[in-house]
Amino acid sequence: MNLANLLNNYEEAVAMILFGIGFSNLLLQKNLIKKIIGLNIMDTAMYLFLALKGYVEGRKAPIVVDGVQSVKAYINPIPSGLVLTGIVVSVSVSALMLSLTIRLYRRYHTLDLDEITTQLKKEGL
Amino acid sequence: MAFVQNLPFISIILSLFSGPLSSILDGKKAKWLNLAVITAVGAMSAAVLVFVIGSGEPYVYMMGHFPAPWGNEIRVGTLEASMAVFFCLIMFLCMVGGSRERAIELEASKENLYYVMVDLLLCSLLALIYTNDLFTAYVFVEINTISACGLIMIRQNGRTIEAATRYMIMSLVGSGLFLLGICFLYDLTGHLLMSNIQEQVKLLHETGEYHIPLLVSVSLMSVGLAIKSALYPFHAWLPDAYGYSTLSSAAILSSLVSKGYIFLLVKIFYRVIGFDIVRDSKVINVLFVFGIVGMILGSVDAIRESNIRRMIAYSSVAQIGYIYMGLGLGTTAGVIASIYHIVSHAATKSLLFVAASGLTDASGDSTDFFDLTGAGFRNKLAGAAFTVGSLSMVGFPMFAGFISKILFAQAGVESDHKMFLTLVALAISTILNAVYFMKTVIRIYTPIHRTGLPKKNFEVVRAGQQPAKSFAMVCFIILNLVLGLSSEPIIRLFENGLKMFA
Amino acid sequence: MSGLILLPIFLPMIAGIGMLVSSASAKWKKAPDLSAEGLRKLHILAITVLAVSAVLALWTAWSGDVSFTLFYLMKDIPIFFHIDDVGRVFVTVISIIWVVICIYSFVYMKHEGEERRFFGFYLVVYGVLVALVFSGNLVTMYLFYEMMTLTSMPLVLHNGSREAIMAALKYLFYSMCGAYLGLFGIFFLYKYCSSLTFTPGGTLDMALVSGNQGIVLAAVFAMLIGFGVKAGMLPLHAWLPTAHPVAPSPASAALSGIIVKSGVLAVIRTVYYIVGPDFIRGTWVQTAWMVLTLLTVFMGSMLAFREPVFKKRLAYSTVSQVSYILFGLSALSPAAMTGALLHVVFHAFIKCTLFLTAGIFIFQCGKTRVEELNGIGKEMPKTLWCYTFASLALIGIPPTSGFISKWYLAQGALEANIGVFRWIGPVVLLISALLTAGYLLPVTMNGFFPAKGTEQTEWKKQEPPYLMLLPLVFLAAMAVLLGVFPNPLIRYFSQIASTVL
Repeated sequence: MNLANLLNNYEEAVAMILFGIGFSNLLLQKNLIKKIIGLNIMDTAMYLFLALKGYVEGRKAPIVVDGVQSVKAYINPIPSGLVLTGIVVSVSVSALMLSLTIRLYRRYHTLDLDEITTQLKKEGL
Repeated sequence: MAFVQNLPFISIILSLFSGPLSSILDGKKAKWLNLAVITAVGAMSAAVLVFVIGSGEPYVYMMGHFPAPWGNEIRVGTLEASMAVFFCLIMFLCMVGGSRERAIELEASKENLYYVMVDLLLCSLLALIYTNDLFTAYVFVEINTISACGLIMIRQNGRTIEAATRYMIMSLVGSGLFLLGICFLYDLTGHLLMSNIQEQVKLLHETGEYHIPLLVSVSLMSVGLAIKSALYPFHAWLPDAYGYSTLSSAAILSSLVSKGYIFLLVKIFYRVIGFDIVRDSKVINVLFVFGIVGMILGSVDAIRESNIRRMIAYSSVAQIGYIYMGLGLGTTAGVIASIYHIVSHAATKSLLFVAASGLTDASGDSTDFFDLTGAGFRNKLAGAAFTVGSLSMVGFPMFAGFISKILFAQAGVESDHKMFLTLVALAISTILNAVYFMKTVIRIYTPIHRTGLPKKNFEVVRAGQQPAKSFAMVCFIILNLVLGLSSEPIIRLFENGLKMFA
Repeated sequence: MSGLILLPIFLPMIAGIGMLVSSASAKWKKAPDLSAEGLRKLHILAITVLAVSAVLALWTAWSGDVSFTLFYLMKDIPIFFHIDDVGRVFVTVISIIWVVICIYSFVYMKHEGEERRFFGFYLVVYGVLVALVFSGNLVTMYLFYEMMTLTSMPLVLHNGSREAIMAALKYLFYSMCGAYLGLFGIFFLYKYCSSLTFTPGGTLDMALVSGNQGIVLAAVFAMLIGFGVKAGMLPLHAWLPTAHPVAPSPASAALSGIIVKSGVLAVIRTVYYIVGPDFIRGTWVQTAWMVLTLLTVFMGSMLAFREPVFKKRLAYSTVSQVSYILFGLSALSPAAMTGALLHVVFHAFIKCTLFLTAGIFIFQCGKTRVEELNGIGKEMPKTLWCYTFASLALIGIPPTSGFISKWYLAQGALEANIGVFRWIGPVVLLISALLTAGYLLPVTMNGFFPAKGTEQTEWKKQEPPYLMLLPLVFLAAMAVLLGVFPNPLIRYFSQIASTVL
């Protein structure tokens, strides 16, 4: 694995770096909103990666405009489909996370999960 | 094509659509719809199971009209069908057993929403069991997570919301890794259907190309699913989630949700990567070590816990450790033992949750260890059920847990390198299990006036007062005995099913 | 026909469970305690069931070798019953003593109450014990071994006091630890044995074992320690002096006379029928085993000597005496094994006599400590005579039974090829016999000839009712007579020893 290889596949490298950023944010941030942002970065990195896998330089999206051309004219549509599905999943998950965050904020007036745990212990629940 | 072959698909769709339907029904109707759907799905799965056993070979069901490399498929063998039957059975009993708690603990206006979640959970579990497509598996993993989160937070108190949040975060980390693994695999093989991926992986393995990316992909998927099923260091959300959610949620979460992920992992090992390749990778050893650590430290946590629900929850951590240890042995016998443990643990742990709630009913709804003193006398059936569950967990002969322990040990002695570690871990963890379960059993059978504790006037609960819960407990006890005494045909069923995987 | 083997197992279990159910439902309805009439019916039912099952058990046992497979637990692990010579010996002793103690408890349990529960569990334990003795492979034996622990526990906690519960907890916990050590060994043996079916001489597959001797030996040692828990062997003996005294006296007699022997049976099965004596001969396992048994023999006697509570003293005596048996087994010589089997039989009769005497002292005058028994011989001479004969037998004074078994044990140790233990063994046995005399006979002495300084001068006779006295006399007579006419037993046992060694 030399540097040239890395540079040639810079898109993938970027996707992985983004994934790392998102992942560590999701895990390490204390603030719930920042966690959710991390989650979205992570998912987006995945979509970037998937889209890259389907993309072939110089070809078009497989949308039939003026008659079906040869197979070689289009990119691989499956990853694009996966990306769409993934976006749906990620949207619903983010929505759920945000609604949980709102609940917690209303109850404890903070977005820090550790702080919430401390308050819970004080409540003695 | 026989009509029976449509049933897996129909059962997935049925449970999927009963979810939205429940949202416009009122709580009571939704409850009956839910029970009817679970029963129907269970019956259908049983029919499928009979069919598959009769035909002796698995079949592939094409969805839509796109053939193999492009379309989406369902694949049914005996293992899948029997798991579906079993999951339906457990879910039915959990829902029946927890009906009284739901009526008390849920807001009346939100009761129907609970059933939406349960229906969706059933749907996603079935899909995880049956699907032959890796990306579909990912989507349903997420649906599973979301509905499980709903099950936790439907009982509104600070603890459950916090637990649900932690659960979501951990799960999302896990599914992120899982998705990344799938993308890598897709990148390497160009397929999403499990059977096609396996062919390509075999080719790659023979040529020795892309060895490291393949390894990375396997480990990403394994770690992702391990995190989602609360393997030891990733279990922080679990005690609160199981300890404070409503009874049927806790029982279902502990016995089914995490097991769905593990079953998917087994499927990935056998159907996607090929077990030989998995065995040669080091991933297995990592799972093995984490499994063993979980077995022991989970039990240690359970010993320190004074809240009975949380204690049972920690015991789940230990039991998940057993399952991963079995997978980590890297032998078919180990996987069979793990699958048997999935079943026996599900039967036992839901029994324990239901029985523990029966005991707390007779102790002024307190889950505290000391308030449970003598609870076995105040609610006799629950006391007996808890004792049965504990003995099964400890691995007492006659009950389900004993068989899985024997299977683990047999698998352990077969593998030369891991034999000693497996047996020592089994021995230590069994003794630790005995410590906290027997401690609790003795506690619930200690007459309160002999302990010097302040006497509280707890009401006596009779089996007839809570018919649903009593029914569930009796069924669970019978299930435990069946699994403990007539294990041979069940094990053979699993063995054949696993052969069909390849 | 071979299905008949199931009858003596399941008949008492079903009858016992029936009694337990009726006991539970009576409590449910808050019904008053049994009337005298009801109690009589219960007694008749219990003794009939027990007698019928005992006769059936003995009949099936002595009508030849029978094998029966109940069902398969796993592919190659059946629940399998098989009656062989050792099984015959154990089942005979158990049946006789179980019936006799049952008669005794009719009167005794009146002052403990909860008869239905007691006799219910008592019958269930009998069924389990018969199944344990008839087990034909290691896993079946393990299953019933654990069941026995579980079903005999309620006998310990019968009176429900805090000490009883703590003792039962201790019993359960020690037994479970022991059983898991045993299970741990079974897992290993499963790999290294050609089968887990009991076969005289062992089933160890030497081709598999070669190179792994260390592991197998460790496994065997774990099993010895594990099953030794039930037999009260060091280092896990502490449950015994706690659990036996708190149980009602008939139950402590059964525990001390019979249940501890199940540990012995498990050890015999493991060493002589699975592993094979040749495999452990001359290894560190044999040495360690002998050291542990001799230590237990000595220490048990010492502790009994110092113990002021009568039943506890007897419990410590059990610890010491059962290790005589284990020492005989550990010597791995035919004569020693004959001695061990003889001692199994004799000790069962003797220790039951002693505990039943202790029960009578408690029942009639509530005396539990040794120093309270001053002058007891003036009050109940017949009882004390029975005690005295049993004591003499336990010490090993000719011509009583204990003498025969100890003679064979010592002789076996002398002829076995066990190095320095050849003379250490008999010496320890001798010292322990002296200590036994030291802790048993003072009761007789002070009983018949009260020490000076007791102000009581008038002794009122208070012999127990005949239903209690007769079983006692019978057991004491057996303890003596078996020593006078030991030849059939010796022949039978040395034949067993010659088949396995």
